[in-house]
Amino acid sequence: MKKILVIDDEPIVRTSCIRLLGPEGYEVKSASSGKEALELLENEPFNLVLLDLKMPDMDGIEVLKKIKDTWPDTKVVMITGYSTVETAVKTLKLGAFSYLEKPFTPDTLLETAREAFS
Amino acid sequence: MKNIFRHPDKSLAAKLIIAIGLLMIIGSFTFWYVLLHKQKKDIIAIAVKYGHSFIKFTRESTRSSMLTFRREATQQVLENLSTPEGVQRVRIFDHKGRVFFSSHKEDIGSPVDKASIACKGCHLEPEKSPALLPTAQKWTIYESSKGFTAIKIIDTISNEPSCYTASCHIHPKTQKILGFVEADFSLALLDEALFKQGLALTAYVAIFVLAVSASLGIILYKIVSKPVSKLAYGMERVSAGDLNYSVPIKSMDEMGVLANTFNSMIKDLKAARDQGESCARSLEAEVAKKTEEIQRTHANLIQTEKLASLGRMAAGVAHEINNPLTGIVTFAHLLKRSAPPGSATAEDLNVIIEQAERCVKIIKNLLTFARATPSEKGEININDALSRTIYMLQNQEKFHNIKFDIHMDDTPFITIGDASQFQQIFLNIFINAADAINERGIITVATRKIVMDNKPFVEIELTDTGCGMPEEILGKLFEPFFTTKPVGKGTGLGLSVSHGIVKHFGGQIDVKSIVGKGTSFFVRLPLVEGYNI
Repeated sequence: MKKILVIDDEPIVRTSCIRLLGPEGYEVKSASSGKEALELLENEPFNLVLLDLKMPDMDGIEVLKKIKDTWPDTKVVMITGYSTVETAVKTLKLGAFSYLEKPFTPDTLLETAREAFS
Repeated sequence: MKNIFRHPDKSLAAKLIIAIGLLMIIGSFTFWYVLLHKQKKDIIAIAVKYGHSFIKFTRESTRSSMLTFRREATQQVLENLSTPEGVQRVRIFDHKGRVFFSSHKEDIGSPVDKASIACKGCHLEPEKSPALLPTAQKWTIYESSKGFTAIKIIDTISNEPSCYTASCHIHPKTQKILGFVEADFSLALLDEALFKQGLALTAYVAIFVLAVSASLGIILYKIVSKPVSKLAYGMERVSAGDLNYSVPIKSMDEMGVLANTFNSMIKDLKAARDQGESCARSLEAEVAKKTEEIQRTHANLIQTEKLASLGRMAAGVAHEINNPLTGIVTFAHLLKRSAPPGSATAEDLNVIIEQAERCVKIIKNLLTFARATPSEKGEININDALSRTIYMLQNQEKFHNIKFDIHMDDTPFITIGDASQFQQIFLNIFINAADAINERGIITVATRKIVMDNKPFVEIELTDTGCGMPEEILGKLFEPFFTTKPVGKGTGLGLSVSHGIVKHFGGQIDVKSIVGKGTSFFVRLPLVEGYNI
């Protein structure tokens, strides 16, 4: 089973991901904060994490570091509102698989997921 | 010349002439007086000398008749000796003052005036005592009853052996003085001579004084009054502000030196004034220039600040809108999948997707404008960036009927920046230009090196022959969301984004437009030092 965890403080982004990826055969769960996500990750492993860069309590870079430290096999795709070369390079260096620019189209999201699992 | 005597109190020359004239008159008359006096004295001395000779002659002439006691003969001699012009009267009287003989017979027997020189010449007080004066005065000058000067000379007849031994025995041996001979001479001729001499001298003095005063007047007028009045006139002109005036005195004397000094002083004054004026003028120009610069900088600052705050706001809004847009796009796609392809619902959903994608584009532009997307910095050849943009556009349908008139300088203009951002600037301007000329016409592209504030810049000029823009539009051109395009066609962000990028790299963007003629955009970017110098 291909398990995907969506971490975003925006409910509509989480819902969009679940609604798009679910029918494609992925098991999708979501978390509204970094803390909640880490708790979920403690309980069960995920193959792919879609991680929002900008969140109120814990910022995406921090969550990325934790995930990469604890579960190095989990692939992380960053979701960002403003794609900048600097942040992209930084996240990739920290071990992120790829990054996705908001707002993304269904095709882009599915393509990225497919790449992550190939 | 007339003026100096019309107001002598105001003329130096007149004062000098009057003073010298007066001194000369006083001097001349003193000389004249002393001379006449001396002459008179000399003549009188001569007269006295001749008078004494005459007395002696009289004494000798009457000697024999006296010794022989021939009174008529003595009287006759005296009468013969008197002449109307010269000898007025000759008398012989004794020590008691009794006249014995006289050229005027009527005098005989009359007494001699004791107050006259006849007595007072020797005696201190003739009426009271026989006391004698230390020195005898034997002559006197007096005014005759006929109005002319006369001289009276008196001398003694001393006792001699022939006298007291004479047969008449009148005089004893003991008697020292037997009598006196007195003669009155007219000095009318002397008076006349002196009067004539006085007249002549007065005339000479007057002529001399007049001649000297006149020559002095002319000389003073020529060398003092005229130059001084010229100098005074020059000073008046200068004090009235005419610094071009030069005093026309060419002489080599002190006046000339004074005039030269004055002229050179005025020249210096004029130079100083001119310098001061030119300084003031250049200062004014400088102040005006600086004021304009300050105003421009201030306006730019306001514009930049306005754009920056708008940018921050826009960026904030853009980030927030991204999330709902993700939802709209996702759910529109999801709905579209469930709708039969080609159905009205599918078409409607396409509209939603297209419009949402438009929103995405707007937001991307907004973020670029707000520089939320940092640029990559590098050395960029502006001519290359421009050429690539033009090449890219020439393949676009919008630019098929547009001719690019390219005048790019061959020099590589190297500037620091982001090539894609520069291309974006040119793209924005080209798209606007294409709209302005209705996609048909000429767009002129030129690059050149310029110097602003002593720093080298490359100026990129992009000119269209389109409709142009009025002044009020030009002012708002770089404001975000300002557009002249129909609703839905333009975002109003293109030029404000361009403005932001150019500013970011230390450049300027400027626009000139004439309604009906066309619009020129000038993008100026700083050149890398060392490359194009």
